[in-house]
Amino acid sequence: MTVALEVSGLVKRFGGLVATNDLSFSLKEGESLGLIGPNGAGKTTVFSQIMGELRQNSGTIKLFGQEISAQSTPQRIRAGVSRTYQIPRPFGDMNVAENIRVGLMPDNIWRMIVSPPDTERERELALSVGFAEADLERLPSELAMGDLRKLEMARTMATAPRVMLLDEVFAGLTVGEIAQISDLIQSMRKDGMTFLIVSHDLPALEPLIDRAIAIERGTMIAEGTFSEVMNDKAVQASYPGSA
Amino acid sequence: MGLRWFHYVLWGGLIAGMFLLPQVVSNGTMRTMIFANYLAIFAISWDVLSGRTGYVSFGHPFLIGIGAYTTAILTKRFDVPVEISIPIAVVCTMIAGLLVLLPALRIRGSYFALVTLAFMELLYQLVQVIRPDLTGGTRGMSGIQTLTRGASNGYYLSTALMLSVAVSMWLLMKTRLGTALAAIGMNEESVRGSGLSSTRLKAFAFLTSAFIAGLGGAFYVHYLGSLAPRALFDINFLFTIIVAALLGGTSTIVGPMIGAFFMTFLLEYLRPVLPGAERYFVYGAIALLLYMYQPKGLVELVRTGVLRLRKGGVA
Repeated sequence: MTVALEVSGLVKRFGGLVATNDLSFSLKEGESLGLIGPNGAGKTTVFSQIMGELRQNSGTIKLFGQEISAQSTPQRIRAGVSRTYQIPRPFGDMNVAENIRVGLMPDNIWRMIVSPPDTERERELALSVGFAEADLERLPSELAMGDLRKLEMARTMATAPRVMLLDEVFAGLTVGEIAQISDLIQSMRKDGMTFLIVSHDLPALEPLIDRAIAIERGTMIAEGTFSEVMNDKAVQASYPGSA
Repeated sequence: MGLRWFHYVLWGGLIAGMFLLPQVVSNGTMRTMIFANYLAIFAISWDVLSGRTGYVSFGHPFLIGIGAYTTAILTKRFDVPVEISIPIAVVCTMIAGLLVLLPALRIRGSYFALVTLAFMELLYQLVQVIRPDLTGGTRGMSGIQTLTRGASNGYYLSTALMLSVAVSMWLLMKTRLGTALAAIGMNEESVRGSGLSSTRLKAFAFLTSAFIAGLGGAFYVHYLGSLAPRALFDINFLFTIIVAALLGGTSTIVGPMIGAFFMTFLLEYLRPVLPGAERYFVYGAIALLLYMYQPKGLVELVRTGVLRLRKGGVA
């Protein structure tokens, strides 16, 4: 099976702090990998390096065999990797449909001008993440946290990714909303989407992943199935109060 | 965001009304409207950049000045015909627009605004000391070729120019490009996170804004027939442009037009009552009140008014 994402020897330092320490892992196409670790372990920093929002000090990142380290964030997104953010970042004065529209846009000014928005696709994406028809006109300020996460998912899906990075996708959601987002991820997995998922909600994460890696202070401390990783002594020690 | 039938009706009515106006108003009013037209062009130019993308420019007179000086020098000193000097002026202004873009690649907010202010000040100093034989130095230039004679011809030309700029920008901003530029103003990181090159979009906004500023600056100087650096690079001129855009409603194109006419006529009608600089207190107070109670400007006031009327009608 094709390797979708391959991270090798990734190192990121902030002054004297090593945020990512020689991290290597890979994801096969259609696989779902959980990235777990306590607060401050460096999970989001890994996401930011994969997306090019932070540049690594050393190491390589390959997407479907192609080295992407030198590419900008928009170029990486066009290459097929996209992410959601821990804190949703909607366009405040745009309604749900318009927010999704930005994700659907071609990165080409001429085509932005001459071709009209694909309102049917905007609607499809919004409904697929659980919005109702009436929500399309709503502004982000009128949405609850669960809806904002759905909007973030829809805008990320709009960029037509082949690999999706989900950062704390369940944070601040109700039980019902978690179930809704989980169903969406499961249905996308069936369609062959590749996922790298960060979540503190481990019970919700477990059914969504094929295997997991655990990091602490930027260093990988365990790798394997979810239960293997969770039973690892180093992982248990890294979660305060879990021993 | 799509075009509706009433958009065509409103624009059609406005265009027809403006071109029929010289039949019913005095020459004095027409002259005031000429100034309002040029202020509207400058305010639209500012709005395309700052109103949309949130990169607040305090240096718009820099761009207007490049356009005005280029065509004035070419026509007066080198006898270049205006058909050639104006396009050259516009191209030079667009190149200057790219210069203003450079700091925007690294900074935004108040720092960007201050850098653009420095551009304006720099040009003000440069035109006084570098080749004053060409620029006219501190005294500026007079006897620059004018394009029209008489108030009505000047009015028709400025109106045609303003409406062409306004309609084309309004149509452009109705496309997905307008949405993308507005998205930059709301959250630039999310624009990049949606796979769009924010640098390319900003470059387009800066070039378009500079194109309009250069065009307006060039035609304006050929209307006035003179060029005074102290008036052009004046902080009051800068604030008049910005206040016109904010007062009408930014990111709307129509708002800066309304704001420009409101401001020009307000200042003109206050002139007999308050002949001095006190007039600026009045418009300052109006602007302040509006920003406090309706920061989205006059356009938003009208829009909410129409919505209320509709709701009232339904109920």
